[in-house]
Amino acid sequence: MKLVVYEDNRYDRLYPLTYMRPTFDLRCGQTLLREKIERAVGRGADVLFVREWLRDLCTARNPNTPVNDLAALKGDDLLIVNGRCLWLGGVEVPRNRDGCGVVGDEVAWISLRRDTAAAIGGATFEEFVETAARRVAKSDAKVKLISYPWDLVNENPAAVEDDFAKLGKRGIEGTFSSQAAIWGPKERLYVAPGAEVAPGAVVDTRHGPVIIEEGAVVNPLVRIQGPTYIGRNTLCFVAARIHEGTSIGPVCYVGGEVEEAIIHGYANKVHDGFLGHAYVCPWVNLGAGTTNSDLKNDYGDVEVYVNGQLVNSHNLKVGCFIGDHTKTSIGTMINTGTVIGVASNLLGAGSLLPKFVPSFVLFMEGKFFKVGIKQQIETAHKAMGRRNTKMLPAEEALLRFLHEMTKEDRAEVLKRSRRQVLAEKGLGQA
Amino acid sequence: MGKSVADRVKKVTAAVLKVDESSIRDSSRFVEDLGAASIQSIELVAAYEEEFGIEMDQDEALAVKTVGDAVRFIEKVIAEQGGR
Repeated sequence: MKLVVYEDNRYDRLYPLTYMRPTFDLRCGQTLLREKIERAVGRGADVLFVREWLRDLCTARNPNTPVNDLAALKGDDLLIVNGRCLWLGGVEVPRNRDGCGVVGDEVAWISLRRDTAAAIGGATFEEFVETAARRVAKSDAKVKLISYPWDLVNENPAAVEDDFAKLGKRGIEGTFSSQAAIWGPKERLYVAPGAEVAPGAVVDTRHGPVIIEEGAVVNPLVRIQGPTYIGRNTLCFVAARIHEGTSIGPVCYVGGEVEEAIIHGYANKVHDGFLGHAYVCPWVNLGAGTTNSDLKNDYGDVEVYVNGQLVNSHNLKVGCFIGDHTKTSIGTMINTGTVIGVASNLLGAGSLLPKFVPSFVLFMEGKFFKVGIKQQIETAHKAMGRRNTKMLPAEEALLRFLHEMTKEDRAEVLKRSRRQVLAEKGLGQA
Repeated sequence: MGKSVADRVKKVTAAVLKVDESSIRDSSRFVEDLGAASIQSIELVAAYEEEFGIEMDQDEALAVKTVGDAVRFIEKVIAEQGGR
């Protein structure tokens, strides 16, 4: 059987998180969505399908896996899984049969025997999936489909619990100071080899498990409350308060207060300031004192911009969603349910940020300005170099593509800000 | 007859950088002579774009060193895009 993982055309509801990665590479819990699918199926993906403009980057990141290759579907039984699937628990993996698992009217997976697959035509993968879904019997998929960014945050505590249960590792294989404390059942803690937990740290497992990966350092006075995941080579700075439902991917620097948030990996939130009910993409740097609101003062549902429209999340707590390579200055204040694009630079002290910040802008004194793509790429190279990482040519090409693609998103706010600049200098009308 | 591009550049430059318009020469360097901080340079580009109704490439615009070069750069963009 071949495992095919694909993203459907709902990837844009997950912007800004999916500007630089397919839906199946989003983190929820310890692992990415794709890793959960692969674990459930018991093999790595044999073929991947992504939107065309992500193809080069996806190929560069998965050099041994065919990407967007219809021919690779031939000659075997297929299990085709929507990359937005959150495959938790012991949900059965369909094998050796024809069938389609759905969530509402959306396809979660399609299982096809070789002969059935061979009989399905289609010039594109989308057509293939559509035809296959029509031909075979449908049933309830019993998995969740991630539809919006806040779904990842909401599902994160359960995903950490599930990952811990499937990890099969318990106890302390790294260094755990005799002056650090486990508050709660010891069997709900895993400290990997090479990880260090310093004196005065408290790991609270009363309400959920805690995983501390290889090379992670938990400094003195840090308090980690489960369910929480701390990724490989991540540093938790002195006195960090990491509350329940948090996932911090590899090579992050984290301090201050973090609650029910996902930091994808390779991002910095070193200093004091609150990050809650948020998803932060790689190469983001949150300046000291950067804080997001995740609860409205009237306890109403939080609305979030999705593709230019305000959408009711039907959630009381929604923080912020920050795209790759964005930086915030000291003291930046982020409004409830704010969406921030890729490679923006926010000097946001003094007033709340607007609820939508487009990609590739400088926000300063309440106004938006353009940032040059050349300058942004130079900064991105520097940021990645600081963590011994080289930007792939496909990543640089994608940044250039996104700079063009997101032009319209920022055109209006830039125009308004330009008028405001001239008016403030006494040369025009705002 | 309307003001020249050079006169308008000087007027906008003086207003944004808070310097005396009469002290601005073609050879004046934004950073060294007129004291433009990086944030003011970004404001200047936005102000020129609004004044002339044009869109400049931010990397190219920020690489311009002197007022005279800014005038020539803006004239070139106006020729390409129209502007006002």
